[in-house]
Amino acid sequence: MDYKSTLSVCPYCGCGCSFYLETIDGKLVGTKPSATSPVNNGKLCVKGWKVHEFVQSPRRLTNPLLRKNGELVEVSWDEALDYVADKLKKIKAEHGPDSIAFLASAKITNEDNYVLQKFARAGVGTNNVDHCARL
Amino acid sequence: MAGLAAAFGSGAMTNSIEELAGADTIFVIGSNTTAAHPLVADRLYRAKKNGATIIVADPRKIQLALTADLYVSQALGSDAALINGIAHIIIKEGWQNQQFIDDNTEGYEDFKALVEGYTPERTTELTGVSKQDLYFIAEKYAKAPAGSIVYCMGITQHTSGVDNVKSLANLAMLTGQIGRESTGVNPLRGQNNVQGACDMGGLPDVYPGYQKVDVPDNQAKFAKAWNAELSPKAGLKIPDMLTGLNDGSVKVLFVVGENPMMSDPDQHHVELALKKAELLVVQDIFDHQTAQLAHVVLPGASYAEKDGTFSNTERRVQRLHKAVEPVGDSKADWEITQEISNRFGYPMNYASPAEIMDEIAQVTPQYGGINYERLEGEGLLWPCPNQDHPGTKFLHAGGKFARGKGLFHAIEWRAPAEVVDEEYPLWLTTGRAHVHYHTGTMTRNSPSLHALMPEGFAEINPVEADRLGVSEGEMLQLTTRRGTIQAKAMITERVRPGMVFVPFHFMEACANVLTNPALDPVCKIPEFKVCAVKLDKAA
Amino acid sequence: MKQKIIERAKALLSSGEIGGFLALKQEGVHIAPHLFTDPAELDMLSLGDGQGLGDARYPLVKLLYTLAERFPQEKFGVMVRGCDERALNQLLKEDRACPMTAGRVIPVGFSCPEELAKACECAKPWPDAMVAGEKMEGFPPPESDMADLMAELQQWFGEADRCLKCLGCKNSCPVCVCHECTLEEEAMLPQRQLPPTPNFLFTRAVHMVDRCVYCGLCEAACPAGIPLKKLYRLVAQLVGQGIPLVGAAPRPQPQPAAQL
Repeated sequence: MDYKSTLSVCPYCGCGCSFYLETIDGKLVGTKPSATSPVNNGKLCVKGWKVHEFVQSPRRLTNPLLRKNGELVEVSWDEALDYVADKLKKIKAEHGPDSIAFLASAKITNEDNYVLQKFARAGVGTNNVDHCARL
Repeated sequence: MAGLAAAFGSGAMTNSIEELAGADTIFVIGSNTTAAHPLVADRLYRAKKNGATIIVADPRKIQLALTADLYVSQALGSDAALINGIAHIIIKEGWQNQQFIDDNTEGYEDFKALVEGYTPERTTELTGVSKQDLYFIAEKYAKAPAGSIVYCMGITQHTSGVDNVKSLANLAMLTGQIGRESTGVNPLRGQNNVQGACDMGGLPDVYPGYQKVDVPDNQAKFAKAWNAELSPKAGLKIPDMLTGLNDGSVKVLFVVGENPMMSDPDQHHVELALKKAELLVVQDIFDHQTAQLAHVVLPGASYAEKDGTFSNTERRVQRLHKAVEPVGDSKADWEITQEISNRFGYPMNYASPAEIMDEIAQVTPQYGGINYERLEGEGLLWPCPNQDHPGTKFLHAGGKFARGKGLFHAIEWRAPAEVVDEEYPLWLTTGRAHVHYHTGTMTRNSPSLHALMPEGFAEINPVEADRLGVSEGEMLQLTTRRGTIQAKAMITERVRPGMVFVPFHFMEACANVLTNPALDPVCKIPEFKVCAVKLDKAA
Repeated sequence: MKQKIIERAKALLSSGEIGGFLALKQEGVHIAPHLFTDPAELDMLSLGDGQGLGDARYPLVKLLYTLAERFPQEKFGVMVRGCDERALNQLLKEDRACPMTAGRVIPVGFSCPEELAKACECAKPWPDAMVAGEKMEGFPPPESDMADLMAELQQWFGEADRCLKCLGCKNSCPVCVCHECTLEEEAMLPQRQLPPTPNFLFTRAVHMVDRCVYCGLCEAACPAGIPLKKLYRLVAQLVGQGIPLVGAAPRPQPQPAAQL
């Protein structure tokens, strides 16, 4: 019998409401707005109340996919990551770092974004990093 | 962003969300707050209850208009004219805060000369807002002990978006409604971590903390911190990346957590560009139209499956905690990037997001005092430069702007890039519906949200419905110079005659097949909010 | 007060009488629902007072419903105020499938302080299963006469203009446990509209007649600041059911609802 409530922050609009994600035996079962949040004080919008629903959707991407003979097929992480890294190295060598561009994201964490732009700038050597802020 | 940064030195929301409840006048323009930012709407309602005057300016008669003390429906794309017209009245009546202007700003004389031309008569002609209403807005805002401006994409998603924002900044400086509790110019961020993505250097011209890449000192600082050689040249913005793909100068696009096929204007143009990539990598939590074009698709972990932080629209950095294990073989985005980086030859070995935040704090002055331990409370509002700093509720305190003096910009109103004509006689605008979010990848995969609103629609006025002989729920065909979609008619007074509104969440009735990719010249934001459309009853 | 609850919960858990004690847990400034299974953890128990009295309450009884359904062999303890206990009784009374049967659930109650009871206009601010606190007179609002009710009703037609249709009223309600809900049925209420028609609020108000336990969690969850508890009292009076003092109050004779 494992019930947990874990404090999280909404992935939708910019309000930044926080809530407890409720899990029973590792499955998400509900969302309760945090009554002690200075942002939302125990309230949420219609999207926020259901924010746990998509996380364990059967339609989530669960495996790396690589295009082979025109089709995206499941591959191991090793194969996918090696492919990407090798290709990046090759294209950088042939066309220079500015032939590579990255889209960071307004939906991933600060830490995710930081590491991504660091890889672009310090790893690849390009400032071609943007995201959909203006969209 | 660019507009506020130019005027004040910082592009962020100047005040915090809760402060809105204490304002005396709130001017809401281009924000459908109840649908797009419900917990900000909560503060607007509370302000109203506390006796505040709420003024709403929006081409659509949005829900908030029903609560407002004054609602005005300005013509689509006429925002800068409206704001200049308000400033004209304020100056003419002597309601400006001259002390504040003299002490804290520059560029006032040019601005004053320009708005001289925006007489109430001319403003009414350009915007459709009556002289009486213009006076009401000018007086209530200028004379309020604490006046606040709230805006959103209705202001920015125009070819004149940066100008519109600068105009709002002008208005706040003119009246001294900034740098104090419950005042300010407050952009509501559309996505949960737009603020954070910008703060972290997810932009082509700045390192984390808005430190310009073309400043040698900054380069030296980051080259040392990151132990790498860095490019001195600002990178490409999204539209330029697409152009680069088209002309062959860009070979690789690595997309994390975005669906540009649906979120960018003129979908067909985007598709052509993406198909030219030698390597298109998409890292995301759901399959989508962009992923279907990719060479490699990497499964990321969702917000519920990882530790980390988001920075909300009021600059509050908050902790999210891992609630469940990532589904299948998916991994946190930072882990995926780290593994690629290691294989690429640039070693990284972060053990946890907490460690990444410690590095962020070292190189990002605004985050200098932030760490995971401190975030366990209510989060921290940046700037938070050191361990003892409590965070910053509102920016530019006492008129001390981040850039030194606040800068007025003399802004002429410009017409939208595309206007109605005989062939495309109606105005089209786009936005959100309350149940869904952005491109729908998350909300449309939530069974109960999908059930509440399973399909797209187009709002038209009863006048148009009569003209076309269309009744509620019948199919409409919408055509612009870019493309055609079909959507069910929703007949409502919310839109004026001659205007159509389409929510942008629905792939099968994709608003961005229709929208105009014309860009703001400075920040390259597309003109999602206005273009010309032709309306027919679907065959 | 809190110590007595903790002691009772510890005794229940240590003796093995219950498998889990559902209450609130304080971590730093945050207060969250928590299922205590380890007696040692109980020192972190919170009564639900954050910055103000009773401002960090959660619908524990509703959560218990889910847990009791999910773990049919378990026995539970649950921390209750007067309103929580009324909700528990209400669900037992009306829902034949209710998994929270008397043998499986042990309420451990405490009374609300007078200040909070007054603010809540609570008719019975203490539970029968009280281990901490004291019985006191309630503070129910006086019943209005019909003319006042009708005048008040008129004002309510404007309130729906602010409604954001978040469904927080339903989601936070301890007695709303239906799997299918009229509020979410397109055939009953148009779903695309924001704001909704007044029907949206009234439909729910009618459903709450003789069921509402006046805990106020709906109001606390409402981002539009709509005084829902007041609406539910109003509609309950209009349809002639009176305000039930407790959930288990005897059911009055049905009367015609002609005025509505």
